[in-house]
Amino acid sequence: MPFLSHGSYRIRYELDGPAGAPAYVLVNGLTQYSELWAAYREALLARGFRVATFDLLGQGASDKPTLFINQDDQVAALRLLIGELGDGPIFLSGISFGGLIALRYAIEHGDRISGLVPMSCFAELTPQLLLLGNALRTGLILGGTGYLQDLLLPMNLSDQWLEPLLDKLDSVKRQGWLVNDVYALQNLMESFLDFQPLTPRLSAISVPTMILNGEFDFLTPRHLHETLRVEIPNSSLVIIPRAYHAFTLEKGVLTADLLARFADDVLAGRWQGNQAVWIAPEEAGGELTPFPAGYDHLRAIPVRAAPP
Amino acid sequence: MSRFLGPLDSEGRVPPHQQTRVAAFLISAHGALARQFAMALPMRIEAAWQTELNAQFYRESEIVSLLQRTASWVPDMALGYMAASWETAWFPKPIEGITNLPLALPIDLAMLAHAVHAGIRPAALLPLGANANDPFVFALRRIEFESGRLLQAQILFLKGESLVPFRDTVNAALEQRHAEVRRLWADALESAGVTT
Repeated sequence: MPFLSHGSYRIRYELDGPAGAPAYVLVNGLTQYSELWAAYREALLARGFRVATFDLLGQGASDKPTLFINQDDQVAALRLLIGELGDGPIFLSGISFGGLIALRYAIEHGDRISGLVPMSCFAELTPQLLLLGNALRTGLILGGTGYLQDLLLPMNLSDQWLEPLLDKLDSVKRQGWLVNDVYALQNLMESFLDFQPLTPRLSAISVPTMILNGEFDFLTPRHLHETLRVEIPNSSLVIIPRAYHAFTLEKGVLTADLLARFADDVLAGRWQGNQAVWIAPEEAGGELTPFPAGYDHLRAIPVRAAPP
Repeated sequence: MSRFLGPLDSEGRVPPHQQTRVAAFLISAHGALARQFAMALPMRIEAAWQTELNAQFYRESEIVSLLQRTASWVPDMALGYMAASWETAWFPKPIEGITNLPLALPIDLAMLAHAVHAGIRPAALLPLGANANDPFVFALRRIEFESGRLLQAQILFLKGESLVPFRDTVNAALEQRHAEVRRLWADALESAGVTT
């Protein structure tokens, strides 16, 4: 198990695939760990990519600072990992908390990447997100990691995914419970206490950017992704049908396909962001369709868009 | 060596020699905390925050009592030597950079409590087949759950405004305390056939 050193801390990472191939770097969400990208690793390796994953500071097998985790350190850890990848094209993607770290990296070191895919992501803490975050933190404090998982599972995954697992949820939660510690998760959550909105800095991201948002994501709803679409010049927003916040877990085959296609398009010079809004196919390999013209993609009912 | 306790018996119980080692370590650590909180607890509570000392003292005592009554104890010749090394480690330690004793003592106690409550996860040692109705298994789960709650007082104090001028010092000393407690815990587990 290889580690990077950041000061006195060790960051565990995994890197597979041929040197020189275009690389995908995947950044975990808050309660995740590197192994959860296994299906992506397999799918992207099969499509000719290198794949790098890691545990953020405070997660999994990486060191867990005892009192404070600064988000600057997470960006620094990501920079160290990307520094290991040589000079080939690099595509960076992250989900939720990891998407935020990826956004910060792209703002500060965008010249090092060829494309960016923020997923279930946000650039600022709206009142809803702030209060939800506070409530989740209180849940962690009062009920431990297991209770936080109990809250997140039904918020972030669909009935279709949950139903066959209802009688074995303990085993679904077990690995995440084993590798994540209460104090470390709490430190990760409390790294938002001095959070400054990224919105004014998003326009600094000049690389091709595909923003992925689940159709039914209510933890980070559409308007949070809309901020990214509006502020990042070379971006598109792609809505994943019937998906919630954790669609990377639920729709891995489709999401890995979208990641690979995005990178292929960028490398072939076909990518046109145009700040367009698209609807992803239901299954991998299907066509993306433009969001119906004249309708407001920020609404859940078919409302005519206001004229520009 | 496994990362979990076991092999479990046919009833899903942890082997008695492992129960003895694990319970002895936890009793030593939580017992030390109970004693130190008892020393810090005034006869009459004059400030609201001191109520937390009272809570911590009784919770730590509860953990000790719970382990004494739930573990299947067997004779263990090595325990005397091991317990001596554990007890020595729990002694209050000077904190480099903080010479004010009335401040250093509560910081040191909070750091030891943080290291024990955050760094020791006995329930995470239980394999999938552990019998949820076995008293020792139940006790380990309860101790881990309660530790997460007790930890909040240490987090509030160590991250609090009053220690901002000593932040780097406290942070470095806490990392050391964690490393020391984790090492002792790992050694105790390794001696019982569990790798961390």
